[in-house]
Amino acid sequence: MSIDDATTVANDRLADREDMIVCVDVDKFYGDFQALKGVTATIKEGEVAVVCGPSGSGKSTWIRCINRLEIHQGGDIVVDGIELTNDLRNIEKIRSEVGMVFQQFNLFPHLTVLDNITLAPIWVRKKPRAEAEAMARSLLDRVGIPEQAEKFPGQLSGGQQQRVAIARSLAMEPRVMLFDEPTSALDPEMIKEVLDVMKELARSGITMMVVTHEMGFAREVADRIMFMEGGEIVEVGTPEHFFTNPTEDRTKLFLSQIL
Amino acid sequence: MQDADQISGDLEFQRRIGQQGSSPHEVPSLPVGQWLRKNLFSNWGNSILTLLGSFLALLALRGVLNFVFSENREWDAVRTNLRALMTLSYPESQYIRVWVSLGFVAGLAGLSAGLWANWGGVSVKRLSTWLMGSGGLLAVCVIVREPSVILGSDGKVVRTVDGSLQRESFLDAMVDRSTWWIAAAVLLAVGTLLWGRFTSPDRRGVEVSVTSVVFVSLGLAVLSLWVAPYGHYAFISETKSYVAESGRTVAFSTKLPWTVMLALLCGFFYLGRILRRSDYAGLIKGASNLLWLISPLTLFWVVLRDPALDYGHVMSTDLPMGLAFGFLGGAVLWSLTRPGVGEAGRLVATMLLVFAIFNWVAAFFGWYPMLQKARISFLLLAFAALLAPNFIGEIAKRRQLVLGWLGVTALVHYLATMINTPSTVELQSSEFLGGLGLTLFVALIVVLLSFPLGVLLALGRTSKFPIFRMLSTSYIEVIRGVPLISVLIFFSVMVPLFLPDGMELAELAAVLTGYTLFSAAYLAENVRGGLQSITKGQYEAADAIGLTAAQRTGFIVLPQALTVSIPQLVGQVISTFKETSLLAIIGLFDFLRVANSVIPAQSEFLGVKREGILLVAMIYFFFNFTISKYSQRLEQRVGLGER
Repeated sequence: MSIDDATTVANDRLADREDMIVCVDVDKFYGDFQALKGVTATIKEGEVAVVCGPSGSGKSTWIRCINRLEIHQGGDIVVDGIELTNDLRNIEKIRSEVGMVFQQFNLFPHLTVLDNITLAPIWVRKKPRAEAEAMARSLLDRVGIPEQAEKFPGQLSGGQQQRVAIARSLAMEPRVMLFDEPTSALDPEMIKEVLDVMKELARSGITMMVVTHEMGFAREVADRIMFMEGGEIVEVGTPEHFFTNPTEDRTKLFLSQIL
Repeated sequence: MQDADQISGDLEFQRRIGQQGSSPHEVPSLPVGQWLRKNLFSNWGNSILTLLGSFLALLALRGVLNFVFSENREWDAVRTNLRALMTLSYPESQYIRVWVSLGFVAGLAGLSAGLWANWGGVSVKRLSTWLMGSGGLLAVCVIVREPSVILGSDGKVVRTVDGSLQRESFLDAMVDRSTWWIAAAVLLAVGTLLWGRFTSPDRRGVEVSVTSVVFVSLGLAVLSLWVAPYGHYAFISETKSYVAESGRTVAFSTKLPWTVMLALLCGFFYLGRILRRSDYAGLIKGASNLLWLISPLTLFWVVLRDPALDYGHVMSTDLPMGLAFGFLGGAVLWSLTRPGVGEAGRLVATMLLVFAIFNWVAAFFGWYPMLQKARISFLLLAFAALLAPNFIGEIAKRRQLVLGWLGVTALVHYLATMINTPSTVELQSSEFLGGLGLTLFVALIVVLLSFPLGVLLALGRTSKFPIFRMLSTSYIEVIRGVPLISVLIFFSVMVPLFLPDGMELAELAAVLTGYTLFSAAYLAENVRGGLQSITKGQYEAADAIGLTAAQRTGFIVLPQALTVSIPQLVGQVISTFKETSLLAIIGLFDFLRVANSVIPAQSEFLGVKREGILLVAMIYFFFNFTISKYSQRLEQRVGLGER
């Protein structure tokens, strides 16, 4: 399936939107091992794209290339019209527009929840403290844990920590949110609380790129699902296409194992 | 693989949190008899070990007590020479300078404690056990010390026919020590009373704040100066005679200043407490930190030494030079922070650095004369220029750098001028301060200065720029491969040889530089251990929310790394403090040397060494034990509250 097809099967509501993330022929090597082999994809503004695939397929590597946590060696990545190069200013600009949520939450353990959230708005966006704190509290309200503001991350459950991490990313008012397996490190009963927050976020119209194994989530909110294997995008389609009528054998195999 | 590591690391972290978060399980305390049976006399073997251990402990205690209170001890030597032990030959007429410096430090310490400290409380129950314990120990001491020797009417010891000393009977000795018995009984009674009242389950949690315990103990100590008959002892240096008047309290010129010190400490503590809640708390905290950095040097070289400024030289050389560096350097930095300065900025900074380093090389070979101050200033300017790219942007940001530069230049030139001006204080030896004053000063200054340097070195060693990494690593390895003594000797003997004509760097300044550079290398390794404990995820999270590298280091990495390395850092502080005694080797009169060679050389106390050294050991132990205890509390608190 070619990339042109992938764009046409995207949801109609996105047809006339701007391109938010454009990847063309992205290559990434770890020594001799090629983790990404010419990944090409375009994600529109407001789109919710789910990336899935077996472990080691390069999906995390790809998403981490998009805000330069990993450096790609070949091809181009353009985020919101800014090309990712070695220029420090471009990287800083992109990072302040792209939020990222990690599998391991990566909250700052020595800061309270409130300080975790307000740190970047105060020091990167130069917001007054009072304003930043008011916004942090409204974000905590939005992710459903307004009462935890004064606690330290170590005093929260995994699900609560991940919701704080989402609030921390949202505090920078990003245009794009990247999720790198946000529920993989959580106990089953906590997965739902995080997914609920992500669903609410998806409906609010922010551009999202989600690496996940949660197929229920993908079916419910994704505009497109991308299936990766061996560092390549194997199949792209709407959830309907993907779950009912996959064309590639490898996709069928993956779905038969995971569903 | 890496993910797996990270997960296991995180799990470990979670587990620690779990342990720390839950309140410690309350063990109901056993009655004394049962506790003894359970812990010390549970079976025959344990009982024998317990008895044997106690016997050995009592034997050791008896030995120490007999040594300290033996009639052969000449404690007068220490009592008379207390001033020498504290400051050595600092002239008595100028003593007000010492008290002013000490008062400033006491006030600053009080202010900082008030601004920062959060020491919490200690339960009354625990206090009562301390009181009972010290009362019991005192009683044991009174019993085990052997009876005193009987003195005849001529004040000499009485000997029996076969020549052995005649001692009073055990009962007489106990009666003679009735004052001590009363003290022990009071401690035991107060302790037992408190214990009885505060062990019930609803009152065992009652706490008093650590601050009040500290202030009350200090208050009692100072009060005892006014009431207890410590005796008045002094060494009159003019007549080379000594005064010994037992049975009265210490001299007025001792007890009054100490009372003032305590008042300053308490007063500024409560001022700090009030300021902490004000809107300017952040500003005042910054100012107090800055004062800690500046004040030791200023107090030592300006207040204590009272330099005789040569105003002609100041006006013709020092001031114009300072102004030139300040404003021309400021102009350079201003232009280097212009938006769009680009690669040219880095080039200028690198050239400045090369020039600055070349100046030092030239000084080494004596190619051309240049004031040391100028060399230091060029080096600082080069570093500021290297920092400049971080300040490119709007006017406010650029102004920060230039103002910072002006402040640093003013400070460095002021101090350099002061250090190079001869003192007006009449000196009796080559260095004007010795004794505990010198020891504490050197320890304080080395710790204060080596801390920022050590952190920078650690960051350099873990930096991703190869040149920083290489420079820091080779610096650390070279210094760590060399004994402290050789560094001290190098700086005291060799460095003055390379100084240009007319440039006098006091011996002490040279040694301080050497010791600071030495200590920084060790500190850097301790901090590096902490830096390595920060997971990759923390760096990535900081990057992902858009922090710059400097912000990431300052807000995320360093606070966590320093917390982790508290135990090693405290160990470093303690060893720095103890190793100041090596200063004796290069000719300075530190605390230990005064006890070891100054007092035994006085004609009244010829060869009296043991008493002084015992006192010195006790004082070293007191300081280090306090530091160590404080760090334990700090670790506990940081671990509990902030994780």
